[in-house]
Amino acid sequence: MNILSEYISFMLERQDQILSLTGQHIYLTFTAVFLAILFAVPLGIAITRFEKVAGIVVGIANAVQALPSLALLGFLIPIMGIGSKPSVVMIFLYSLLPIIKNTYTGLTNVDRAILEAGKGMGMTNWQLMRMVQLPLALPVIMTGVRISAVTAVGLTTIAALIGAGGLGQLIYRGISMVNNKMIITGAVPAMVLTLIVDYLLNILERAVTPKGIKKK
Amino acid sequence: MKKYTLIMLAILFAFAHIVSFSGLAYGASPASGIIVVGSKNFTEQMVVGNIAAELLEAQTNLKVEKKLHLGGTNVCFEALKRGSANNGIDIYVEYTGTGLVNILQMEAKTDPQKVYETVKKEFKDRWNLIWLEPWGFNNTYTLAVKEEFAKQNNIETFSDLAKFADQLIFGCTMEFMERPDGYPGFKKAYGFSFKEAKAMDVGLMYAAIDNDLVQVISAFATDGLLVAHNLKILKDDKKFFPPYHAAPLVNGEVLEKYPGIAEALNKLANSITDEDMQKLNYKVDGEGKDPAQVAREFLKERGII
Repeated sequence: MNILSEYISFMLERQDQILSLTGQHIYLTFTAVFLAILFAVPLGIAITRFEKVAGIVVGIANAVQALPSLALLGFLIPIMGIGSKPSVVMIFLYSLLPIIKNTYTGLTNVDRAILEAGKGMGMTNWQLMRMVQLPLALPVIMTGVRISAVTAVGLTTIAALIGAGGLGQLIYRGISMVNNKMIITGAVPAMVLTLIVDYLLNILERAVTPKGIKKK
Repeated sequence: MKKYTLIMLAILFAFAHIVSFSGLAYGASPASGIIVVGSKNFTEQMVVGNIAAELLEAQTNLKVEKKLHLGGTNVCFEALKRGSANNGIDIYVEYTGTGLVNILQMEAKTDPQKVYETVKKEFKDRWNLIWLEPWGFNNTYTLAVKEEFAKQNNIETFSDLAKFADQLIFGCTMEFMERPDGYPGFKKAYGFSFKEAKAMDVGLMYAAIDNDLVQVISAFATDGLLVAHNLKILKDDKKFFPPYHAAPLVNGEVLEKYPGIAEALNKLANSITDEDMQKLNYKVDGEGKDPAQVAREFLKERGII
């Protein structure tokens, strides 16, 4: 009981700092994931048309994913310096794979019979994509976005190591000062943020699911 | 319906994006008249980073931005070479030994004056980075054990550890594990090694020795956590570790533009002892005070601000 109230008073003391760090955290995550969607969804669509390139693109995205995040930051600093820019680039790169992969898988897994029916009705390729394939693949694409966003919230904590702020600042400072209160003060909002992002995107995922394939 | 959902979605994303952009302009590169002070990611660096920032704010008419707790020597050094005009930093406090051994990759020396002169000359020639006057304290590497363990076994110096070494697990920072003047050099100079050596984060090292997962740790001579965790610093009887005097390191172009920086930061030349620094660090680590507050109090006490 005592410990709990101690934590709460510590958090209240640092309310402003927590709020502004949470703001930075959201800013970094959001910018990166937003850019990743803008880039990865069209790329995912494009590679369904060029099957040969698909393997290469997914392979590259896989390789980026496999690179440890701190190592990636090490490469980015000499090129981009420190602060929010290289952090956004790092989170962006890590967000690509799930979105590209899910966009590609979602589009290629649409039932052939449905596509044939569309073609039979005289739809052009573009119409087929826009009116049949994309709507049917949207739930799968959204799952990719959700995975990216949730991972990104966690990943953003290491942005603190290159001066971009965010909740990682409290976590890493807490670790170096052996101050558990500070670690928890950073970790709990980050966790809550992850849950909120996951929840909201889950709702969105269901909202964009076409009526025809919605589970009752 | 679906179309509207999609449009709403797009608007939502765009809106959140705009809000976060306008609300937090912290990503923008600083205008002229602003200098950026950095620091590495441990307590003492937070304190000296804040001291430098407070000092500059009070003694010059520059606007000071802080980018403290950056992830290590490499991040600070790379950022300093770029300067704040290129998304980097302009100043951070570096240690002479780190400059010599880590950055210049030169052989360690024991004479503090020689080390300082070497780094001063080399940094200026190679990267136009300027070392200002050292502030006095020497945050050299050392080894620490639990106070009671030292008492029981009568351990005062590194050499005293030799007969126990094969039963002890050694915990150290990742940097210490790799540096030629860290564990590899130590083994050669003292002729013994521990049962096992484990590298970990600085903060976690103390948790490890508290819980007896390791029995000896690498430590910094001015570390406040040593007091907080009842640890004893052992004497480097063979004088193996090179000196690590702290001094502000400044980007040369920035210094040329604002020469007042040197004047302000040199006010602390040779005026902080090891004990002073350890006390300041203890205020953060032991008493849980904010490094910025500790820095301000210190400068007020000295009558500098």
